[in-house]
Amino acid sequence: MWFAILLKEWLKLRWSLAALLAVHLGVLGYVFLTLRHQFQIEHSEMIWYWAFELRRLLYTPLQYLPAFTGVALALAQFGPERLNGRFRLSLHLPLRGDWLVWSWVAVGALFGALLSSLTALGLYLLIGQWFPREAAFSAVLTALPWLLGGWVAYFGANLALLEPAWPRRLAYLGVSLAFLGLLYQERGYQEYDQIFPALTGLALLFIPAVILPAHRYRHQAMIGGAS
Amino acid sequence: MTARIARWSLIALTVVLLAIWLPQVKNLLFEYRFGKTQLFYSPVIEKFIYTELVGAGHQFVYRDQDGRDYDREAFEQLIPFIYYKNMELWGKLPLELAGQTFDKAAIRAERLVLEFEPRDLPEHSPRIPLFPLLESNPGRSRLRFPEDILRPGAALTFINSDANRRESELTDSFTRALAKAGFVFPVRATFARVSILKAFDAGHFLIDDQGKLFQLKRVAGAPWVRSVPLSEGFRVRAIKISENQGSDFLGFLLAEDSRLFLLGQGDDPLTPLELPGYDPERMELKLLFNPLYRTAIYSDRQEIHAIAMDRAFKPIARYQRRMAMAAPRLVDTLWDSLTPVNLQWRTPESRYPRLTPQWHGEKAAIGMSMALVLALAWLRWRRAPLLGNWASLILVALTGFLGLIALLLFPPEAESASS
Repeated sequence: MWFAILLKEWLKLRWSLAALLAVHLGVLGYVFLTLRHQFQIEHSEMIWYWAFELRRLLYTPLQYLPAFTGVALALAQFGPERLNGRFRLSLHLPLRGDWLVWSWVAVGALFGALLSSLTALGLYLLIGQWFPREAAFSAVLTALPWLLGGWVAYFGANLALLEPAWPRRLAYLGVSLAFLGLLYQERGYQEYDQIFPALTGLALLFIPAVILPAHRYRHQAMIGGAS
Repeated sequence: MTARIARWSLIALTVVLLAIWLPQVKNLLFEYRFGKTQLFYSPVIEKFIYTELVGAGHQFVYRDQDGRDYDREAFEQLIPFIYYKNMELWGKLPLELAGQTFDKAAIRAERLVLEFEPRDLPEHSPRIPLFPLLESNPGRSRLRFPEDILRPGAALTFINSDANRRESELTDSFTRALAKAGFVFPVRATFARVSILKAFDAGHFLIDDQGKLFQLKRVAGAPWVRSVPLSEGFRVRAIKISENQGSDFLGFLLAEDSRLFLLGQGDDPLTPLELPGYDPERMELKLLFNPLYRTAIYSDRQEIHAIAMDRAFKPIARYQRRMAMAAPRLVDTLWDSLTPVNLQWRTPESRYPRLTPQWHGEKAAIGMSMALVLALAWLRWRRAPLLGNWASLILVALTGFLGLIALLLFPPEAESASS
């Protein structure tokens, strides 16, 4: 049964994952081209000065990519279920509803983590191409809150998609956007080094939270109120 | 049960986010525009004088320490070394003070401002540990950035910026020169002013594994090393270099025990500054030099302190006052009464965002009680059992309106008790 559930998630996600992989590689390629261009038109020591002293981030095109990926994964997983009412059928499987939801979310989060790891590795290799390893490592540390943004966006979109009532959907979106807003306030590199563990701990609260809208959906489905 | 845990997770998340965001929204709605007080020591009346904004628009006061008010021009004439260009326009140069005469050139030669801020502390700002070591003797009018960068670690590694590759020859010669001068690797800390827009280059100050201080420069491409003498057991916390032409001092040196020194270039390089109440963690400090006095002014966001010193840095007068910007505002008092805590996200002292709780004390009991009454009324209106919702009521009692908003957003589920 579990295998069948995971297989279903894979079948739902595979084309979206392929498209997202292409987008990630495309954005990494764009960062590569812009860096290469910079080093062709400007003296290398000046670019190092911008990066280290003026704290200019040379990889900002990656900033919102994880959040976009999170929302896209959530839509690919739960959009069709919600549109056609298939979600109601899934909740009638002879399994505990909460474990069922967590297993779906685990699949999406795992693929999101894989794409994020790819982005982080690509960023390290790209920056390491033109800068010393300290700068490449610093770029990954700087990008960590953006990657956490992917997690928050994925769970925020899941909460809104699974929720049957509109006012509550807006509440979930508000909470998720308020969290996302905290993750994009850097004015230079590595500013989130100290607060990142606390923000990660806070973001883990989304794991239990995602059960609530599914629970409400199931309850409303039973009384015939779900849409 | 899982639905109940899910709901409480969302409530916890909401309360934390509200405690971070609502104070920021309040500050956006009711922006605080009162800047810090500007405090000086007047060499004319030998008293402290200050100017500060005390009301909307441009309601500045210009006042001395005894409460006597001045107009702006009279105020500027009390600190003629600072407003020497205006003094020249007003035909009041050369100036006679304390039996000496000062013309424009004499004033300019002595004027200097050195600053040390909490953000200058290494632990308050992230830093990629790579630094250009400029050529101190460039043989041209301006300094320029080198084509390599210094990595201070187990050796002084130089990396070429064009090829992103280690420069073996430079690495070996600089590492050897430093070791020969008694430096014990690895490098524990590096301090320098990374800029080409400065009068000259004093190089880098490096702390070795034993806490000893060394100055390193690149002169005509070769290493130049000086061991900076410090007393036994002296521990350096931070150095801020400000290369200014004509000054005996290269900047500030902060000791581990928070004593601040001026860093000179001679055999006795440290000049202690007597700064009672100075806290480098949260106070900005300025040291103003003029031909007669040196004045240290340091402040947080509440109190401002000043010490006037003679040319040998011996204190001759002190003053401290609570700034106008520290006066509580009605909107802050109201806010502090409505919520028990803010989570401060950013402070001017650090580049790192933080979650620093700011407790609002006893006055928050007003908001907590009001929120609790509203929560009780709301539960009654929903015909929800009060005893069955004791946890929600405790939440509101402890977090006031933050908890009440979270409760309204995520009310108890009728079916949650059975799941």
